[in-house]
Amino acid sequence: MIGNDIVDLALARKESNWKRPGYLDKIFTQNEQLLIATAEDPDIMVWNLWSRKEAAYKIYNRATGVRGYFPLNLVCVYENTNSGSVLCNGYTYYTKTEIVKDKIHTVAVTDKIDFEMVLELGTEITMVKKKGIPFLAEEKTNSLKPVSLSHHGRYRALIGLK
Amino acid sequence: MNKEETLLQLRNIVKPYINNEEAFENFTEDTDFITDLNINSANLVDIILDVEDHFKIHIDNESMEKMIDVKSTLEIIETKLAKKR
Repeated sequence: MIGNDIVDLALARKESNWKRPGYLDKIFTQNEQLLIATAEDPDIMVWNLWSRKEAAYKIYNRATGVRGYFPLNLVCVYENTNSGSVLCNGYTYYTKTEIVKDKIHTVAVTDKIDFEMVLELGTEITMVKKKGIPFLAEEKTNSLKPVSLSHHGRYRALIGLK
Repeated sequence: MNKEETLLQLRNIVKPYINNEEAFENFTEDTDFITDLNINSANLVDIILDVEDHFKIHIDNESMEKMIDVKSTLEIIETKLAKKR
């Protein structure tokens, strides 16, 4: 399975003040807060970790049907700027993060091997939503394939698996 | 404070973070923060902190999990306020 999340840093700076008292405590574990505090650029670290949690949540939500707001239960295992995993209630999701200019884009998968199958889709596909979860409608085979859509500020991405 | 008043106060708290004016016009108990108001998930924290400040309550992580729609949020506010009395 697959999930992805995009953050437009310019918009994030405008929309969110993570330095607000209490903010980080609500969404980041002590370990994650340490990563932020010691990062060369704390701003980028905040949104890097956040995009990992969001991408992983999208898989968790699809797999379990559970909807909610529990960022502290999505625990980032940070390997480096571009890779790591997220643990959530016994599940492990692997993440790859790409930072280009103001765009932070994380793709999460359930099996590492799926990274090779990730496909960026165009806007021409027909997307349907079931209980808020997006699927790609394949007309030829009349089947539904899981896809993940993310949009923030100037950036958007729609991805699926081959 | 009755439910109507709490709803109105919550509406004011949520206002700065909405991305769908039309859905906001029809702000009711059935409104969902994410799917209806298109609120960015990173801004849900702000709503939770604003609710804490405004009503002078503490929202624990378990309660926070449910705060994705108006109905659950109202229930949590009422429960926390009742405990304070």
